[in-house]
Amino acid sequence: MADQSRGSLSGLTDSEAKEFHGIFVTSFIIFTVIAIVAHFLVWQWRPWL
Amino acid sequence: MWRIWLLFDPRRALIALFTFLFVLALLIHFILLSTDRFNWLGGHAAPSAAAQHMSTLPDTAKP
Repeated sequence: MADQSRGSLSGLTDSEAKEFHGIFVTSFIIFTVIAIVAHFLVWQWRPWL
Repeated sequence: MWRIWLLFDPRRALIALFTFLFVLALLIHFILLSTDRFNWLGGHAAPSAAAQHMSTLPDTAKP
């Protein structure tokens, strides 16, 4: 597959990509939970369906 | 799935993602503000949902 010795297309190594992916997934989950709470509160206020 | 960051530069991906989410959020908020029912600053009651409550208000308001 990718030539690991010369780096990837983005310039990240495998470990860097895994580290960033962990932060990204955690941030995405936090964002999604906040969005779900916000939608629940708005639905309690005025349901839209 | 983490291999996606070998293809896409995280810095550019984050800037694109944040820009997209910000524009989308701005669009949705302004659309909601333009409506009567979901304008949270207008001071008007919700038209359809409030109509049901309004029918009971005069009865309960009487002494």
